[in-house]
Amino acid sequence: MNMPLLASTNMSFLQRIFFGNHGASEAAAWSDGLFMMIFWFSAVCFVILMALMVIFVVKYRRKPGVAAQPSPHHNLNLEILWTVVPSASMLVMFVLGFEGYAMKMVAPDSAMELKVDAWKWAWKVTYPNGASSPETKYISFDDNMLALEAGEADALIETMGLEYPIFYVPEDTAVKLRMHSQDVIHSFWIPEFRTKMDVMPNRYTGYGFQTPKLKSTDMVLDQTTMLDIPGRDMWIFCAEYCGDEHSRMAATLRIVPQEIYEAKIKEWGTPKDPIELGKTIHKTMCAICHSVDGSPGTGPTWKSGNGYGFGYDAALADGTTAPRDANYLRESILDPNAKVVAGYVPAMPSFQGQLSDVEIDGLIAYMQSLSDLGPNQEETNEETPEAADTAGSESP
Amino acid sequence: MSYADSNAHHEEGSYFSGPPGMLAKIWQWMTTVDHKKIGVMYLFAIMFMFFIGGVAALAVRYELLDPVRTVQMMDASGEEMTIVTGERLAGLKDIMNARSANEVYNRMFTLHGAVMVFMFIVPSVPASLGNFFLPIMLGAKDVAFPRLNLLSWYIYVTGCLFGVLSILMGGVDTGWTFYTPYSTTTDADHWRVVLMILAAFILGFSSILTGMNFVVSVHKLRAPGMGWFDMPLFLWGVYATSIIQVLATPVIGITLLLLVFERLFHIGIFDPSMGGDPVLYQHFFWFYSHPVVYVMILPAMGIISELIAVHSRKHIFGYRAIAFSSLGIAGVSFLVWGHHIFTAMGELAAILFSGLTFLVAIPTAIKVFNWLATLYKGSIAINTPMLYALAFLFTFSIGGLTGLPLATLATDLHLHDTYYVVAHFHYVMMGGTVVAFMGGIHHWWPKMFGKMYNEKGGMLGCILVFVGFNITFFTQFFLGTQGMPRRYANYVDEFQTLHQISTYGSWIILLGFLVHLGVFIASLISGEKADQNPWGGLTLEWETESPPIEHNFHHEPVVTHGPYDFDKVVPPGWDPKDYPLPANPSSHS
Amino acid sequence: MQTTLDADTTPAPAHIANHPLHWRNRGYAHHFKSRDEDFDSSKFGMWLFLTTEVLLFAGIFCGYAVFRMLYPEAWSNGSHYLDWRFGAANTVVLLISSWTVASAVRCAQLNKQKWLQINLVITLLCAALFVFIKIQFEYIPKLGEGKAPGTFFSYAYAQNPYEVLWWSLYYMGTGIHALHVLIGASLLAWVLFRSWKYQAYGPTEYLMVENSALYWHLVDLVWIFLFPLLYLIH
Repeated sequence: MNMPLLASTNMSFLQRIFFGNHGASEAAAWSDGLFMMIFWFSAVCFVILMALMVIFVVKYRRKPGVAAQPSPHHNLNLEILWTVVPSASMLVMFVLGFEGYAMKMVAPDSAMELKVDAWKWAWKVTYPNGASSPETKYISFDDNMLALEAGEADALIETMGLEYPIFYVPEDTAVKLRMHSQDVIHSFWIPEFRTKMDVMPNRYTGYGFQTPKLKSTDMVLDQTTMLDIPGRDMWIFCAEYCGDEHSRMAATLRIVPQEIYEAKIKEWGTPKDPIELGKTIHKTMCAICHSVDGSPGTGPTWKSGNGYGFGYDAALADGTTAPRDANYLRESILDPNAKVVAGYVPAMPSFQGQLSDVEIDGLIAYMQSLSDLGPNQEETNEETPEAADTAGSESP
Repeated sequence: MSYADSNAHHEEGSYFSGPPGMLAKIWQWMTTVDHKKIGVMYLFAIMFMFFIGGVAALAVRYELLDPVRTVQMMDASGEEMTIVTGERLAGLKDIMNARSANEVYNRMFTLHGAVMVFMFIVPSVPASLGNFFLPIMLGAKDVAFPRLNLLSWYIYVTGCLFGVLSILMGGVDTGWTFYTPYSTTTDADHWRVVLMILAAFILGFSSILTGMNFVVSVHKLRAPGMGWFDMPLFLWGVYATSIIQVLATPVIGITLLLLVFERLFHIGIFDPSMGGDPVLYQHFFWFYSHPVVYVMILPAMGIISELIAVHSRKHIFGYRAIAFSSLGIAGVSFLVWGHHIFTAMGELAAILFSGLTFLVAIPTAIKVFNWLATLYKGSIAINTPMLYALAFLFTFSIGGLTGLPLATLATDLHLHDTYYVVAHFHYVMMGGTVVAFMGGIHHWWPKMFGKMYNEKGGMLGCILVFVGFNITFFTQFFLGTQGMPRRYANYVDEFQTLHQISTYGSWIILLGFLVHLGVFIASLISGEKADQNPWGGLTLEWETESPPIEHNFHHEPVVTHGPYDFDKVVPPGWDPKDYPLPANPSSHS
Repeated sequence: MQTTLDADTTPAPAHIANHPLHWRNRGYAHHFKSRDEDFDSSKFGMWLFLTTEVLLFAGIFCGYAVFRMLYPEAWSNGSHYLDWRFGAANTVVLLISSWTVASAVRCAQLNKQKWLQINLVITLLCAALFVFIKIQFEYIPKLGEGKAPGTFFSYAYAQNPYEVLWWSLYYMGTGIHALHVLIGASLLAWVLFRSWKYQAYGPTEYLMVENSALYWHLVDLVWIFLFPLLYLIH
C-alpha cells in the first residue's frame, strides 16, 4: 500500500547524501524511503525543538532585577498531546518497518539458492551446480595515487595487496542465501540491498533479494578476458567483528546478464589443471592469511626459503619438526590445529567439507609448484587432471 | 571514626580539612567512610579511566585517517620494494606484542569500549556526583551503608587494576562485548582475555553495592518533610538507575563467569562446536548491557533536570511525568535487549523486540519536552552548566531521534553494525551522559571544592567539546548509511573524506577537554572562594557550606518547600534584593 | 567490626527484663535517626542483595531451560546419571538446617543463648554434611568416571554428544551453589563465634543473626530448585 510512496524511483538530493546510490532492489528502495520518512519526521521535530530552545534562551535570558515569570507547572492536555503524538508516529514506523522487514527476509520459493560459507577471513559462494567463483579483483584502483602522495618512491610498478572474490549473479532474478560459518560469527552485508544477516557457526541463516535489471550504462571489466561486459558491481562486507582481517573480509557481488552468468558457472564447473585450480583457490580463499611472495601474514607463507615452503621441514610450536609433504599439508587443511608452526597462533579454521579432494590436491600441487624442492616448479603437468569434481562442497 | 562517634556536636571544618601531615591525610582518605570523600575519590579514579579510554579513542581515530594500502614500487635505484601505507598504529605492534597492525587497532577499539563502558560511564555519574550529593540532597549525613560504600570504591579500583594489567600485558582484541566464539578462541594468551573479563566481573560487584546503597538510602534516609515527590529529580534518576544496577548486574556476573570458564576449560555453553549457543551469550550479555545503557543515561537526565530548573529559575515542568518516566524507562529497559541482535534472531522475536523498543522512546521524548517547557518564561543564565544543558538538549535529541531507524526493523537491517550505530550511541552516551556529567561537574564544582572556576574558560571548553563532538560523530551517520561497517581498521576509498573530518573533530574534542582540565586545575589552585549558594539552588545541598562540613549539616534539615519553588522562595544564602520573585507566583504546587 | 555502645539504649522489653542480660544493644550508625531505622535499612539492604543472588542463579536456570529444549535427550541421560537419593538426602539436610537457623533467630529474640548456639551448631553440621555428601558421593565418583565439564570430560559411555553440556551446567550450578553454602556457613560461624564469645545477640540485637539466616534460607531455596531440575525431571 505504501509501496509507491516509499519506494520512489527518484532519489532526492538528501537521499543521495545518505546512501550515495540507489537501493538495488525494490525492498531496498522501500527501506530507503522509510528511512527518509523517519528522517523528515525527526528533522521537523528536531528543528521545532531547537527553534523553541533558541527562542526561549534569547527571549528569556537573565536580566538583572527581572524575575522569572510564573507559568503553570504542568498542563495535562499538553502532556497528553506530546505523549500521544509520538506514540502514534512510532506505531506507524513500527508497522512499516515490519512490512519492509518481511520484504527483505522472504524470498519466493522459486528463488535461486546460493550457499554462502564464511570463515576468518573470506567468503565463498557455491552455486546450484556445485561450482564456485575463481575470479577476483583488487579493492581499489586508486592505490597509485596514494603511493605517489606518500612520496616514498619515484616510480610505481603496480599495485599489490589482496584481491577479492567476485560472485556472479544473473540480473532480474530472485536469490536467496543459505549461510553458514566455519568458525566465529560473521555478518553478510550487501549495502546496496540494505540488508545484512549474521552468519552463524551452529545454524543456517539467510535472506532473499531480487537482483535489479541492468541499465545500458552498467559496464564492468571482466578480469579473465580484460573486456568490458555489461554488469554492475556491489560490495559485500562482513559486518560482525571477527578478528584481525575483519576489515578485509570483503567480496564483490557482480550482477550480469543471464547468458554471461550461465557461461561463467558452466566454465567454473569444468575440471582444470590442478596448479591453476590451486592458484585460484588460493587467491579466493587462502591469500588473506598465506602469502605466496614470502611476506608475513597470519599464517606461514607458501614461498620456499627460510624454512618455509613445500618439502622443507616445518618447525612446530611444540618444538618438534615435521616434513612439509603432501600428507602434512592435507592434514593442515582438514585439521589445522593438529600441527601448528612455531610463531603462529592456531587461528585457521578447518576446511573439512569445504574443499573437495580434487581441490585439496590442486592446492597441494600449487604449493609444490611454488617450492624449489617441488617437482612442479616448472609448468610440468606430471599429474593428470582428475575426473570432474561434481559434488563441490556440501557442509555437514 | 566519624561513623562511630555518633551525634557528637563540635565545631566541624569542611569535609576535606583532615589531620595535619601528608601521610595522615592519605590514610584518612583511604579509610574514610564519608560519602563525600568517597565521591571525590570516585571522581578522580573515573576521570583517570576516562583519560585512558580517551587516548584509545584518539588512537582509533588516528588509524582511520587513511585507508591501508599495499603498493609495490620502484625506488630511486630502480629496486623493487613493497610498502604499506596508512598503517598509522603499526609502530605500536612490537610494544603491544600484536600479530599485525590491524590487531593493534582491534585492541585499541576494544580497550576504548571496555574502559569507557565498564570503568567510566557506568559508574560515572552515580558513583561520583551521586555519592557526593545523594545523601546531602536527601538531608542525610551519609548513605545507608557507608562501609559498603568504601568497599565498593576498593572493588572498583581492583576491577580497574585488572583491566589496566590486561592492557599493560598488551590488551585484548575481543571487542568490549566479548562475543563468543571469537572471544573464547582469539589469542594464544588466555590471561589477558581472562583478566579483562574478570575486570568487568569485579566492577559489577562495585556497581551492585552502589546501587543497593542508594536504593536503601532513598527509601530510609529522606529528611523530615521530604516525601517521595519532594525529592530533587536528580535523585529520581539515580534511584531508577540503582534499581537497574541491582537487578541487571547479577546476570552479567554469571554470564562473565561462564565466559571465563568457557575460555579456560571449554565448558561448551557458548561454544557452537560443542553444541553450545553463541546467541545465548548475546541474549545474556544484552539482558544486562541494554538496561545498563539506562544506568548511563538516567542519572544524566537527572542532572539536566537540575541544571535547567536552577539556571532558569523555573519550577520544573511536569515533575511527576519526569519522575515516573524515569521509573518507566527503568522498567521497559529490561524488555528491549533483543534489539541489539535483530540480525541474529528469529523473525517473531525481532518483531516483538522492535515493538517494545519503540515503547522506551516515549518516556524519553516526554522528558525532552518537559525540559524545553521549563525554559519557557524563565530567567535563563548563560553559564557553563546551562550551556552544557543546552548542548545536551541538542545532542541528545539527535541521539534519540536517530534511534528511530534502528528500532524500525527494515532500516535496522541496513544500519545495524555500521558507523550509523556508532554515531547514534555516541550521541546518546557522549552527547548525553558525558555532556550532562560535565555540566553537573561545573554545576556542583563550587559545592564540592569550595572554589569557583573561570566561567569564560568553562564556556570555551564547552563550546569546543560541543563543536568537536558534532564534527566527529555527525559525519559518522553518513558513513554508516553509505555502507561503512563498524570495527574496521581499513576501508574502501570513498569513505576517506568523511573519516578524515571525523578524525579532525576528535582533536577538537581533545582540545576542549584540555581547556576544561586547565580551568579545573586553575580553580583548585587559585579559584575564588565559592559562596554557599552561587546559582540560587533550592535543593538541600545549597543549604550547607561550600564545601560541606563533615556531617553535611549543622542541624538536621527540615524540608519546607519543594526543590523547584523558585517563584516562591528566596534561595538560602541569597539577599531578597538580589533575587527578585515574581509578583504573583504560580498557584500550582 | 567497630561498635560503640549507644547512650539511649532501648529499654529491654518487660518479659525479658528479669533475665541476666549478657548482650547489649549495639550503637547505630550516626547517620540514622534511630536503631529501628538502622535495623530496617539493613534488612532492606539484605533483601535487595538476595534479589541479586536470585538473578545470578537465574542465569544458570535459563541456560538449563534453553539446553533442555535444544537437547532433551542429553538432558534426560544427564539426570539419569544422577542418583536422586543423594540429592534427596541433601535436600533433607538443607531443610533441617533451614529449620534450625530459623529457630536460632527465634532463640536470639527470646534470649535463649544456649539454644541459639545449639541451633547454629546443628546448622553448621548440616552444612558440612551437605558439602561432604556432595563431594564424597557425587563429585569424586563422577569426576573419576570422566563425567566432568568441558575439556575434562572423558566419559567413554556417553550416549549423546551434548552430555558434556549437561555436566558443564551441572558443575556450574551445583558448584556456585556449594560456594554459596560455604559463604553462608562462614557467616553463621561468625555469628556462632560472637554468640559464644560475647553472647552478642539478644532480643533487640539480632540483626546479624537474622541477615545470616536470610542468606542461609536463600541457599536452601536455590537448592530446592536445583534438586528437582537436575535429579528428578528426566
